[in-house]
Order: sequence, then C-alpha cells, then structure tokens
Amino acid sequence: MSQSQNKVMTAQEAIRRFVHDNDHLVIGNYTVGTCAELVFEVIRQQKKGLTLYSQSGVFDVEVLVAGGCVDRLVTTYVYRAGGKEGGSAVERAMRAGTLQMEDYTNFQYNARMVAGMHGFSFMQVLEGAMVTDLFKKRSFMGEDKYKVISCPYTGKQILTVPAANPDVCIVHVQRADRFGNAQYWGALGSVASASLASKRIIVSCEEIVEHDIIQSSPHLTVIPGYRVDAVVEIPFGAHPTEVLGYYNLDRVMYALFFMADMTGDGLNAWMDEWIYGCRDRHAYLDHYMAKHGAELLDAIRVKSYYSAPANYGAAFTSCWDNEGKERTMGVTLAEMEKIMEERGLLNG
Amino acid sequence: MAKRYTLDELLIITAAREIKDGENIILGVGLPTTAGAMAKALHAPNATLMMESGILDIQPLVPPNHIADAHSCRGFSYATDLFSMFTMTYRGYVDVCFLGVAQIDRFGNINTTVIGDYFAPKMRLPGSGGAADFLSYAKKTILTMRGGEFVNKLDYFTSPGYLDGGDSRDASGLFPKGSGPVMLLTTKGVFRFDEKTKELYLAKVHPGVSVDSIRKDVPWDLKVADDLSETDRPTDEEIDFVRRFAPTEAVGRKLMYELGLTNAFNKALARGK
Repeated sequence: MSQSQNKVMTAQEAIRRFVHDNDHLVIGNYTVGTCAELVFEVIRQQKKGLTLYSQSGVFDVEVLVAGGCVDRLVTTYVYRAGGKEGGSAVERAMRAGTLQMEDYTNFQYNARMVAGMHGFSFMQVLEGAMVTDLFKKRSFMGEDKYKVISCPYTGKQILTVPAANPDVCIVHVQRADRFGNAQYWGALGSVASASLASKRIIVSCEEIVEHDIIQSSPHLTVIPGYRVDAVVEIPFGAHPTEVLGYYNLDRVMYALFFMADMTGDGLNAWMDEWIYGCRDRHAYLDHYMAKHGAELLDAIRVKSYYSAPANYGAAFTSCWDNEGKERTMGVTLAEMEKIMEERGLLNG
Repeated sequence: MAKRYTLDELLIITAAREIKDGENIILGVGLPTTAGAMAKALHAPNATLMMESGILDIQPLVPPNHIADAHSCRGFSYATDLFSMFTMTYRGYVDVCFLGVAQIDRFGNINTTVIGDYFAPKMRLPGSGGAADFLSYAKKTILTMRGGEFVNKLDYFTSPGYLDGGDSRDASGLFPKGSGPVMLLTTKGVFRFDEKTKELYLAKVHPGVSVDSIRKDVPWDLKVADDLSETDRPTDEEIDFVRRFAPTEAVGRKLMYELGLTNAFNKALARGK
C-alpha cells in the first residue's frame, strides 16, 4: 500500500473488503481498549468459519463466539462471567462441540506473533511449560502446537512455538492519520506484534489526526501506514472498554454485559439490543444515551494528563542560512553556480 | 483499642507483608495490586510494581480494573511490551509474582484452566494467561485461593509448583534454582512449603477458624506447623491504607455488589431512567 493513499473508510466497508469467511483473524488489542465496533461489525456481517486469535479475551471473544463467527480459538485467557455459578459463550460452545480451542501461555501466544512479525518460522519460548498440560494436551494444532529442539550453541533442550501470520488484524488505537500511521500508548501489550504479524490490518481509532501530529511524535506510532489497509474513525470505538487519554472503563455497561453473558439466552438478548439492533457506533451511542443518559458517558471521560513533549527539533532545516549563504561553503546559490561555470563543471 | 478488620483486609495485608523493599513485583488485579500498593506506601518504598501488559514502576491511585489498566495511575516510568515482560522474568529480574488458584495439589502445582475434561469441560476457567511462565521463572510466587480446592490430582496441570516434591523442581533443570511458590493464602489460613519435602503445610490460621475445618478441605493428611499460630494481626495503619486505597476490596465482593447495585439504581432513578 502506498503511503499517499487515503485509506479512510467506514467500519462496514473495511470489514466487507478485508475480512473474509474462514480467515485467521486476530484481535490486536490486549485486555484494554478492545476494537469493540470492528468486532461488532464482523458479527453483523455474519463472517463464518474464522480461526480467532486473542491474547486475552474480554467481552470481544464472547460475542464473536456467540455470534457464530468462530470455529477455532487460539488464546491464553478467556473470560468467565459470574464465577462458578456463571458461564461463558466459550464454555457453552465447547460443550456444544461447535468450538475448538488451543491454549497457550501469554508469552507463547505472543511469541508466535513476534516470530510472524519478524518473518521467522518459529520462536523460542520458556522451557518450564514443558512439564505442564499446556504442552501435553493439544487440540487442532496437534504436533505443531510446540516442538522441542536442541540449541545449536548450548545443546540445551529448547521449547519452541510456530510463527503465526493471521490473514487480518482488527485493532483499535488512540489516533491515526489518513494514511494509517497508527499511534497507541499505555499498556503496550502485544498490539504491535499482533498487528504487524498479520497480512492485512484494519485500524480503528478515536480520532484521525493530521499527518503533522504523527510526524512530531513517531515514538507513539506502533503500526506504520504502509502496512495498513483501512483506517476507520470511531469515537468511543472501544466502549465499554477503556482508551487511555479518552475514557475510562464503563463499569455499569460492563457489569450489565457480564450479567447477560452468564446464560446463552441472556447474551443473545444483549447482542440483539447492542449489536444487531444498532447499525453502527453512532446508533449504539444514541441507544446508550437514550437508555442510560449522557451523564454516564460524561462520567467516564478523562481529565487530560499530557506526556511531556519530546523535543524533535534540530539546529536548522535548510542548508542555506538567513543571508542565503550555504552553511558549509559560505557562498550564495548564485555565487555557487557562477563558480561551477568558471570551473567547467557544467555540461549540456 | 486496635482497629477491627474484615477477612478481605486480613488477606491483603498478609500478602503485602511478603513484599520486601527493593523487590520487583508483578501484580495481578484485586488482592495483589492492593497488597503491592500498601507495601510500597508503608514498608517497601523502593519496590517496583509492574504488570505483564508492559506498564512498569506504577503507583496505582485507584485499584486497576485489569492488568493493562494505565488509567489507575498517573503515568508510569517505563512502557514496554508483553514479550519483554516475560523475557525479563526469564532472565531473573522478577522477585515476586502473585497467582490466583482454582486447584492446587500437595506440591503447589496449579490448575487455572478447566474443571473436568479439557476437551469437554465441566467448567472452563480462564486458562494460563501469564501464570505458567511466571510460576516457572519468578524467584518466588505467592498463591491465593478463594473458592478453589485442594486436590490429589489436578484436572489440568497449568503451572508448575514443586512437581513431585523434594528436589524434583530443581532437578528438572528447567527452572531457576530455589524458585517456586512460597506461600498459599486462603480464606482460612496461611500455608507454606516444607523446605525439604516441598509439601504444603498449614502455618497460620485466621481468627475463628479451626484446624479441623481446614483438614476437611484437604484430601491428604495435611501437615500442621509445630508452632502453628493465628495469622498476624494487621496494624491500624495497614487497615487505614487498604480502606482508603481500595474501599471496594476492603468490604469484599459481596457487599461491594450489593451497595454498588443500589447506588447505580438510585442514580438511574434520579436521572429519570
């Protein structure tokens, strides 16, 4: 993708164009600020047969599984609503035999993405897990879940995981420009590796900013524009989860979700209301405010606490000084051209 | 007269006292964060608190919602990624981590993945997350169990404690020498691991709890410390800190939900919703 191309589009268009049935889809966010609206749009468009990669499932994995989008799940952590008495969409689907799941540790899962991001075919992980059932009990990954090799330098037995290169990553960030340069800060988790391991990347953001903002703060850019296929501006795009610098977790909405999630019927009703019943995030927010009032959203908006600016300045931005003289040679452009003529350097 | 305290406060404060000044601590949400915040405020000012999501040297101002909650503090000193958090642990830079337990066996091996069959679960639990790697490589691990169970055989072996006991963990060559769980904190008492056999034994009982009631929960012949005593009493200063920093933790989950729901309901009524 060329840097100059404007990649701004709606969530509907982005998901329609870049997420296909039977894709390996990775949720780029880890625990915080999940790409809620992109997830909802995948469900609305009834994508099927996905292999879903999730570093740590919050409500995002629950609704994707309940929405019938996911056949296989690769993860390290799934949510359980309501403790012993409760349940989860993942548990219900596993019992019904409609979902296969492969368990890794947080590090192993991420190591698969890091290998994929760098173009390696595998990654060394921490060998302690060899004694556990993570190593022994394998689902659809089978033999390829882990392999043990001997280190060519020390001879030590090394545990490895294969690289992952998902077909498409959906990820929510604080801000991006129209070219797709995506800036994310806070708990970095595995956002960069999950995104960059993937073949296609859909970025949603709280706001699209001028390219100039990105240029002045490149340390915040976790995904470079040239890797990004679509940029979608979605204020409150991670609600009810939180985005640092924008809004806090909506505890009321979150509690209501998890009460619903304890049963299959409860979750279906929740999804009818908040996903199928709202055509996009504007409709979702309208519905939210009609139901709960704007006060609840106002209560979670953040107070600003800005990062101290890093000085990206330099001594000068032109070879020519204020008097029009070249800084090294001390001559003006006209003088320089005259000298080049005199010395017989010019042709043509 | 000394302040009276809730069971939740006792657990938090008992865990916090395990943290020593200057240590690097990986926190989980709930009890560990409050324990870490208390330790840093009261007796371990040079402890470095971190979370596996890559936020380091935090000073939480409110209890975090989860392990990637940078909203809970006003900035932090070092932002890194999850990958580096674990390689840092692997290299030996993490002194203490905390881990919640669903099932534990007599040698401190842990299940947090499933009750019943892995492929057809009776109850699907969260999974490993960071647990297996942290329990493998942190120098010491503090285990907490609320609502979990002692079992002879785990339904699923998620995270390695002392394997088959004795020197089997060190002898495996897979783990840093001397690493492993150092304490199990439950709602009834404090357990530690025998230095030689690495078997869990009861070290302290919480006020009002009988040893017999604890024995009933354990399917093997539980060993009890010769010098068994009541869990050390929290100081007023510790109780004050916990109540101010984490009032919802101090009252316990049940009362928090009860009061929280009433509050949300009343606020909604006032808004006419």
